[in-house]
Amino acid sequence: MTEPVRRLHLPQKLRNLELFLLLIACFINASAVVLVQLGALGELDPTLVLLGAGLSALVIGLHIVLRFVARDADPFILPIATVLNGIGIAMIYRIDIADKQGGWESAAVRQTVWSALAIFSAIVVLLVIRNHRVLFRYTYIAGLVGVLLLFLPLVPGLGKEVSGARVWISFGNFGTFQPGEIAKIALAVFFAGYLVRNRDSLSMVGKKILGARFPRFRDLGPILVVWALSMSVIIFQRDLGTALLYFGLFLVMLYLATGRLSWVILGMGLFLGGALIASQTLNYVNGRFTNWLDALNPAVYDAKGGSFQLVQGLFGLAKGGLLGTGWGQGRPEITPVPQSDYIIASLGEELGLAGIFAILALYLLFVARGFRIGFAGQDDFGKLLAVGLAFVVALQCFIVIGGVTRVIPLTGLTTPFLAAGGSSLVANWIIAALLLRLSDTVRNQPRLVV
Amino acid sequence: MNVSELTLLVLRIGFLLLLWMFIFGIVYALRSDLFGQRVRKMKTDAAAFPASAVPAAVPVTVPAAADAFTAPVARASPNPDAQAGMATAQNTTRLVITSGPKAGTEFPLGTETITIGRSSDSSLVIRDDYTSTHHARLMLWNDEWMLQDLDSTNGTFLAGSRVTVPTKIPLNATVKIGATSFELRR
Repeated sequence: MTEPVRRLHLPQKLRNLELFLLLIACFINASAVVLVQLGALGELDPTLVLLGAGLSALVIGLHIVLRFVARDADPFILPIATVLNGIGIAMIYRIDIADKQGGWESAAVRQTVWSALAIFSAIVVLLVIRNHRVLFRYTYIAGLVGVLLLFLPLVPGLGKEVSGARVWISFGNFGTFQPGEIAKIALAVFFAGYLVRNRDSLSMVGKKILGARFPRFRDLGPILVVWALSMSVIIFQRDLGTALLYFGLFLVMLYLATGRLSWVILGMGLFLGGALIASQTLNYVNGRFTNWLDALNPAVYDAKGGSFQLVQGLFGLAKGGLLGTGWGQGRPEITPVPQSDYIIASLGEELGLAGIFAILALYLLFVARGFRIGFAGQDDFGKLLAVGLAFVVALQCFIVIGGVTRVIPLTGLTTPFLAAGGSSLVANWIIAALLLRLSDTVRNQPRLVV
Repeated sequence: MNVSELTLLVLRIGFLLLLWMFIFGIVYALRSDLFGQRVRKMKTDAAAFPASAVPAAVPVTVPAAADAFTAPVARASPNPDAQAGMATAQNTTRLVITSGPKAGTEFPLGTETITIGRSSDSSLVIRDDYTSTHHARLMLWNDEWMLQDLDSTNGTFLAGSRVTVPTKIPLNATVKIGATSFELRR
């Protein structure tokens, strides 16, 4: 009887497609490193071509794991994440060259090591979580973990303040970690589980005002709690971006679970109100708003903590033009932190509008795959989780790229997969792993049970 | 080694092209997801399936013979009997359960294979005493829906006759597995 069962397994079309795209992705990453060396050094330095090779070996490893544990997973997520990660490493390496940092202590090598750690944790997630329904059982624990991680940097002695924001924890000389990045996954799990359990009371009842059904006062509890949470992030951790990220995540998942626009109106009103009060009372928020609205004013430009960085980033983007200066031939290192918060400006300078749009298209495809997985899912928890995880990547891109391009006030967040920063890489690769797992279970579920 | 300006320019544009080719490669691979299934141009008279064809099992022996039947069925034909051709990817949209405990339910058909059996990894799970763990499957061959029995104990029946080799399924013909029967419909 084993023979017909084995024949049931069709050739792994999806995995073969993934392998094909992955090989192209690795080629793109390798050529980016080579072009950086040709552009910035004028010669090839074979020792650091290993940078590209290391990442390639890791993602192929992840691909092989997928062949065994998630055969029907989405074939596009892994190649897209690989290209973004590789382009990020190439740009960080390029800035290392400009800063005359070399050898194995440089930021690019650190980023590669963190990538290895991140992809390894993605593999662990895929091996441990064989079915996303398991996460549903840990709804409230995930919520607790999320909140604890969020406020871990406030613990004296453990937290560390970097350029005003207290969102890091440090382990002595070993390094720093931003627990808020991991918290966003835990909170997405919590929101999905909580909303699936409780959405009836949040969606069914309430008075109708102007065509939209508004919730009862007593049902406002959850949204007020999350609002208070994000406001305390603004006040105590002095980080606008993180607060906006969590609140936006909750709002979108609430809207998805209930289908009521009134929650979005209410939530946006609450957040804008809070942000407005914060901008009047908190100095650093006020500064961010001034830098945003009046960036090109020389007084603001020259002020301490003024718009120098933002305007330098804009100059870099302008220098890049349509096709960019080419890898290694711009001067992205003039902008402060060109490898983390401002990596988009650095890439815009060297790859131009064409390159930036390619990167945005990659994010768009990644997020669209997440939405598609949610759309195809049968169970509500999986649907909410997939869309929530994809949306958190989209919102983070919007907040940081919008900040760099002066669409919204600048707040420090990392560009997913691209920017230098280990915690962000780990978090985003775990998100990719969860989306892969979700897409596999979605495809494997029975269409109908008789 | 010195690299000339021209080489760098060519490499720069080459890299951007490579990046965009990667993106369009992905978009091309998911085109059916983005834009839906491609609707084929229907061939008119010559290729149209004979209207007199009765819905019956047509076993396929060699793949080459399958080509003779790939002729699509004219969609707008007014007479329901005249369009009773084989179920193809184009003219079939859903699977309807016609008898059994879940009679009346249906689900949409895409292009992926539908596996039928008692095991929970099947696409259509039928839990009764007559169904085997991996009982049968429906799959697209040359854009036509085929029914294949996977050595089931109690057999798969298409319009009353037992299926032994992969068989084309006529539209609206009854497929019976255990106590459940279903039809492919447009």
